Amino acid sequence: MALHEVLLQQLFNGLLIGSFYGLVAIGYSMVYGIIKLLNFAHGDIYMIGAFSGLVFLFIASPYIGAGWPALILGLLISMLLVGLLGVLIQRVAYRPMLKAPRLSILITALAVSMILYNTVMLLSAGRYRAFTVDISTESFFIGALRLTETRVVLIVAAFSLMFIMHMFITRTMYGKAMRAISLDRDTCQLMGIDVYKIIALTFFVGSALAAAAGIMAGVYYGTIHFYMGFLIGLKAFTAAVIGGIGIIPGAMLGGILLGLLEAFGTQIPFIGTVWKDVFSFAFLILFLIFKPNGLLGRSESERM
Amino acid sequence: MLFNLKKHWILMLVAMMLVFGAFGCGEDAAPPADEDPADENGEAPAEFEGEVLIGIMVPTTGSEAADGTDMENAALLAVDEINAAGGVMGHRLVTTTGDDGCDPSMATAAASQLVSEEVVALVGGYCSGATLPTLAIYGEAGIPFVIAASNATTLIDENPGWGFMINSTGLDQAATAVEHFESLGVETIGVIDSGDAYSADLKEQTIIQWEEAGYEIVADDTVQRGEVDFSAFVTTIMSVQPDGIYWTGYQAEGALLIRQLREGGYEGVIVVGDGSSAQELIDLAGPAAEGVYCTGPPLTDFLPAAQSFIEGYEASFPREPGAYAALMYDATNLLADAMERAGSFDSAAIRDALEATDGFEGLAGPISFTPENTLARSNFVVLVAEDGRWALVE
Repeated sequence: MALHEVLLQQLFNGLLIGSFYGLVAIGYSMVYGIIKLLNFAHGDIYMIGAFSGLVFLFIASPYIGAGWPALILGLLISMLLVGLLGVLIQRVAYRPMLKAPRLSILITALAVSMILYNTVMLLSAGRYRAFTVDISTESFFIGALRLTETRVVLIVAAFSLMFIMHMFITRTMYGKAMRAISLDRDTCQLMGIDVYKIIALTFFVGSALAAAAGIMAGVYYGTIHFYMGFLIGLKAFTAAVIGGIGIIPGAMLGGILLGLLEAFGTQIPFIGTVWKDVFSFAFLILFLIFKPNGLLGRSESERM
Repeated sequence: MLFNLKKHWILMLVAMMLVFGAFGCGEDAAPPADEDPADENGEAPAEFEGEVLIGIMVPTTGSEAADGTDMENAALLAVDEINAAGGVMGHRLVTTTGDDGCDPSMATAAASQLVSEEVVALVGGYCSGATLPTLAIYGEAGIPFVIAASNATTLIDENPGWGFMINSTGLDQAATAVEHFESLGVETIGVIDSGDAYSADLKEQTIIQWEEAGYEIVADDTVQRGEVDFSAFVTTIMSVQPDGIYWTGYQAEGALLIRQLREGGYEGVIVVGDGSSAQELIDLAGPAAEGVYCTGPPLTDFLPAAQSFIEGYEASFPREPGAYAALMYDATNLLADAMERAGSFDSAAIRDALEATDGFEGLAGPISFTPENTLARSNFVVLVAEDGRWALVE
């Protein structure tokens, strides 16, 4: 492969990974925007999503197989269930802490994260699980770019979800309410917006997107395990910060940028795969020095 | 709304905790039925003069939990059999397990815990990276440690003389890998490890021996434990097109690497090291694993001597014995044998007896030690994945 072919392949790889980061980052960013919480349990929600997809396939595949129809059904059901789990967590763990100091709710989030991944560790016996799907892995070429059906579907699905999300935030009353609450929660309450309902909705949407990303990662990589949410949680957080935390399009953009950075960073001689994370987190530090509000962040902006 | 009734969700939460609590207990209570003396005394009134505590150090959680649990089970099985035959010099063997989590810091904590429990000797050791820092701890405490699986050459240098390695070291394995690549007509290889002591060491040894044999390394990379995305390495591989690839890490990452290499269009020879020799590698990698080679330890399944062990294992535990179960079984029996030969449960006497081991017949072949306390012969074999199972390459 010539250099430009390597770069083209990495461009695609970067976009795909970046879209996973972006989907998870949206949830981080939304929650931060609306209740100023860095929801460290969000990466574990992604992991729970992957496992619920696996459980669905395990139950459903004898009847409907494990092809695309089963996957899409599994994706939707998992998004719904994990979204509800997100609402439950919000109700049990975060809502009582809304008036408490910010640090308390942050620690609560860490506790939720530990509860989630330890529960899954027990249930899955700490093992890696094969995410078996019945999808062709034959590859084909577009020019010099090697693709598989899975990759194409996943990247289209991820970008579609992001687009739907963007429409939801900018074009619906609920989206407007979310943006309003991120500006001034008390005033919204005075204006008759059911603030708690909107917060619950935010958790639902964010968790559902993370679950979708988790299942997609399961399909893409083929194995899942209880700790898979940790690193992607950090990465998604990074993506959200790069994009400007609290700003939805920023989270998507940040995710994609981070994915591309990793993909190209590993091609620089002497960086290689092992320095991938060092490279991306070092970039985060540099980026924050020069642009502390993130790509799309303004110091006095509407954070949503 | 349901949640308007405050008490409801508190009740739900309590119910959930109870469910998880019960689940946890169930898991814990299941395996070690042999640790309760009442059982044994009730059924077969073996007259034991006393008890001897030996430690088991394996990863029972984390990414290597599967192999670790297999090893723990194998040791428990050996102990059961020894006790059923009257114990060691009239003493009943009792075990305590330390979870090293395949992690150096967890291993250090587990080792200190085992030392404080006053074990007279230890068996175990799976991840070399986790075993490495414990050698000094056991050496200082003066407790002999039969190392069943860990085999990085770095262990030899760090061994204060109390560790005994019954698995061939990385040097032997690298030689086996080089020979196998040569026999397939491979001339250029790419190597990749997972950054821990064991896999980095095996990779380095392979590079040295491969280049000594007059061939070329065209790609050399390292990933972190827990890495899921190998697309950068795959892209590099596709651009340099080596005839073969040698992965020296463990199965969790190895399975992902194999899938991504094959999906990325790589058609050359893939060989994995013994860290990836568990059946789990093939299960996780799926069809992509077909035709992958493995330089592995003598897998339990392929040892003619191990048939009765496999039957005994499957009768006691609801699973198949994994790759290292036979070695762990050997390690435990060797330890009991050394105690008999020492004629005492004094740790120093056991150590001397272990050192003097001469051709102890284990399932994986005879065990004797070099002056460095390593196995005096190579026990590596080459396996190939066929129809979703490992098969021995003759």
